[in-house]
Amino acid sequence: MTSMRNKRHLLVASAMIAAVLAACGSSGSTSPATNPPVTTTADTSAASTTSAGTDTTAATGSAASLTDCKTPSGDHVKFAANPWTGSEVNAQLAKAIIECKIGTPVDIVEIDENATWVGMDDGSLDGVLEVWPSGHAADHATYVDQKKSVVDLGRLGPSAQIGWYIPQYVLDAHPQLKTWEGFKDPALAKLFSTAESGAKGQFLMGDPSYVTYDEQIIANLKLPLKYVVAGSEAALLTAMDSAVKDQKPILLQFWQPHWKWSQGLKFARVALPDVTDACKASAKAANGGYACDYPIDELYKAANAKLETKNPAVFNLIKKMALTTDQQNQVAGYIDGDKMAAPDAAKKWLDANGAVWGAWLG
Amino acid sequence: MAVSLEALPELESEAVSQARRHKQLIGLGVFAVLAVVAVVVHHEVPSWLDMNVQKWAQDRYRWTVIHRQSAPIFNRFFNPLADSLRWSVRHTVTLLDNLRWPGVVAITAAIGWRTGGLRVALAGGAAMAGVGVIANWDHAMITLAIMAVSVIIALVLGIPLGIWAARSDRAERVIRILLDTAQVMPIFVYFSPTQVFFGIGFPGAVVVTVIYALPPAVRLTSHGLRNVPTVINEVGESFGTTKWQQLTKVQLPVARKAILLGLNQVIMMAFAIVVLAALLGTGDLGQDVLTALQKQNLGAAAAAGGAIVLLAVALDRVSTGERSTRRSQWSKSLPTVSRQVGTWLAISAVVLVVLASHALDWSRFPSWLTYDIGKPVEHVRRWIEDHLRHTTNGISDFLVTNVLDPIRSLLLWLPWFFVVVAIAFTGWLSRGWRLAAGVGACMLLIAAMGTIPGGNGRVQLWDLAMDTLSQVLVAITLSMLVALPLGMWAGRSDRVEKILRPFLDIAQVMPAFVYLIPVVILFHVGRAAGVIACVIYAVPPCSRLTTLGMREVPYTPREAAISFGATPRQEMRRVQLPLAKKAILLGINQTLLMVLATVIIASLVGAGALGIVAYEATTKPLSKLGQGVAGGVSIVLLAIVLDRITQAWGTTKQRGDS
Repeated sequence: MTSMRNKRHLLVASAMIAAVLAACGSSGSTSPATNPPVTTTADTSAASTTSAGTDTTAATGSAASLTDCKTPSGDHVKFAANPWTGSEVNAQLAKAIIECKIGTPVDIVEIDENATWVGMDDGSLDGVLEVWPSGHAADHATYVDQKKSVVDLGRLGPSAQIGWYIPQYVLDAHPQLKTWEGFKDPALAKLFSTAESGAKGQFLMGDPSYVTYDEQIIANLKLPLKYVVAGSEAALLTAMDSAVKDQKPILLQFWQPHWKWSQGLKFARVALPDVTDACKASAKAANGGYACDYPIDELYKAANAKLETKNPAVFNLIKKMALTTDQQNQVAGYIDGDKMAAPDAAKKWLDANGAVWGAWLG
Repeated sequence: MAVSLEALPELESEAVSQARRHKQLIGLGVFAVLAVVAVVVHHEVPSWLDMNVQKWAQDRYRWTVIHRQSAPIFNRFFNPLADSLRWSVRHTVTLLDNLRWPGVVAITAAIGWRTGGLRVALAGGAAMAGVGVIANWDHAMITLAIMAVSVIIALVLGIPLGIWAARSDRAERVIRILLDTAQVMPIFVYFSPTQVFFGIGFPGAVVVTVIYALPPAVRLTSHGLRNVPTVINEVGESFGTTKWQQLTKVQLPVARKAILLGLNQVIMMAFAIVVLAALLGTGDLGQDVLTALQKQNLGAAAAAGGAIVLLAVALDRVSTGERSTRRSQWSKSLPTVSRQVGTWLAISAVVLVVLASHALDWSRFPSWLTYDIGKPVEHVRRWIEDHLRHTTNGISDFLVTNVLDPIRSLLLWLPWFFVVVAIAFTGWLSRGWRLAAGVGACMLLIAAMGTIPGGNGRVQLWDLAMDTLSQVLVAITLSMLVALPLGMWAGRSDRVEKILRPFLDIAQVMPAFVYLIPVVILFHVGRAAGVIACVIYAVPPCSRLTTLGMREVPYTPREAAISFGATPRQEMRRVQLPLAKKAILLGINQTLLMVLATVIIASLVGAGALGIVAYEATTKPLSKLGQGVAGGVSIVLLAIVLDRITQAWGTTKQRGDS
């Protein structure tokens, strides 16, 4: 028994000695550049210096460039990058500009979009540059309108469209399916049936975090369809691939922009009844009377309310930041199509478009 | 509602048989009357039964969201706690960085050498180095730091709780319900509340991991202490030990094996949840899995997932020093050193390695050592798509149409109260009145969970619970059909056990997110895919416990049977299996807990039902947390019902044997 206890003590001691040695050794022989953080965690320590970069001396109006960069110092600013390319693009663009022109170090935190709001609420995240409004109405109402811990920084520029999609080959074979009325025909709806949906056609919805009126639309338009939740975007995309591979019909909720479109995806949007204010309002009714298409999502930016005092230069920059859908897609194409690293893709675009982002600095 | 569900003492077997028959007739009569009542009353759950659990939970959550900066409990308790958790993880990461990768590998090997000999050292070191070969080393160190902090906290909380549970029956009863809840309650239900209480990033990640990984530490400590033979306790007492000495000097050392198994299970559970914790922005391997999945990059997901498995295996092997008892001939032939000398050797080796890697500036894992497993994985995926998919798709359709649909239809067709009565009746048959009352109350509580919006009306949570129950029953049956034969086979052959072990490790720890894509390719989106995901996760514990049970059977009775001329088959069926029954039943019991714990993962591939309701607690917490809590509680109640009934079978049968 004693030898066993000795052994344990020694083990602990050995680990500690090694650790201490390691910690001592590090101060001497490591160069600070050995561990460049590409993406960081939500907990990366912020340097304790109090001076935040406050001067914005970039050229206004004319084309800016990423030369004569400042050395980033002071309190870090943290932007959320949600797990899709567009979100990564915005964060990388902002990071490159802020670090170079304002001189504030920026951390990009890859995080789930719902956790993003909790982080912005308590200030562990300073901002997010792309929110899809349809999925976050409750967050906006609570954190922006009621609690005022988060501020809405206005439109980013790109708009998104959720809708019902079918493969082009299905539409070619059955042109009636161009609008929702085609699905009223049980024989046509049955084309989309699976073991899960039985005699009805299957309507596939992906990740339940995304906004969905599909179940209401199906019920209110009295379509012979069964609403099936795939549960995750990965499952939805895989189901899409399998259907295309077999050239089988599939009906699903999908959206633009999405990286999958750059892979030669040939899907057509099914026309649903036009969006009206009355229809939009009915979504909130107790029994859910929604029976029209999805409204266009105008993507917006948001920040922790204290960012304005903590770092006004950064706050003003992201407030002014604006992109078009094409511009965002261009950078996304560098990443998804050309397989460039995200920071390199951002730099490439910034080098060529100084006039665009020069205006954000003014 | 606090109906105690513990074992009923052996009353029936001692009662006079006539009185017993009398009692049985009364029981049958009572249930017959209840069944008639059930058929006559409403087919649907009446609305007055709704206990408003959803609104209660939703209001509490909203209140917390609004007041989390101002309420004193946050400033005085939660925020400092979160800060210290963040500090611990951050400094562990710094420490690991400064050890450099050769140092981390060396420490792993050194600890392995001291706990289990050369084989363990090699296995542990190789697994740790393998992490760097297939995945991002820096991210892996963040994962390792979160895991280390979580596992230590789970042990610090779990072992004392286990000791308490071992000493007091009442404490154990309460703790057991809490542990069942922690094990089965879908993490998505407490995910958003954890963020609100502890913040995003490391603190939240550590808290969810501790909650999930705590149960085995408590259970196995308590189990180990309770099984310390009374003789040993009495010897200790006769030497006049104090209570504290008795515990630390006698009981804990004797229970060491069970506590080590607890440590092993804590590590496995903790690693199984890495990917979900990454949703909080940890920037670790779990994050790599999520990012890869978003782009359908199965190869990259498998690489990060594989690294998670390797980390878990490395930690597990060296911390438990497993296999130390079965040293090979080869390692026996090596010269042995005394413990002290060996330990000093190990320390100096580690120090040398750390110093050398600093001197040589080996800060990053060398790129020439890395290997991209993405390509072979993609190759396998394409092969599956081209050759296997059509067969398995057929199986999946069959499973949905001919197995899952009929069972679900039956459960939904039955009047709700009839199902409650039928389950109470099963409890009565299995054990007696108390169990009947307990499981009946659990089912009533599920009925009291209210309704959720769906389509253009409202759906009873009860109906979703029946949907989930049908899937769970099928998944449990399939898991047992796979796991019991595998476990028995491994129980009779060392070679089979050896081959099987890495596959079971992978199935247990590989993040379910990695196999979402293959499962959907093979089995479509839907309940069949969900059932398969549950089976993958539930087979390892069931198979392991079966093997353990078979191996624990003493050799004497088996030998006796063979000497009386029994064939190996007869010997297995008549002697080994009956004697291993207790462990096998424990395996079945674990199977159903695992299946219910995986309902949430199944919902990510289209299983729907309660799983998706619980998932929505995370995705739309401000509007749907209440629903999620109701769904999660229903899953826990289903688990408790199935668990207590199967445990009753275990003990009654055992009584019959003796």
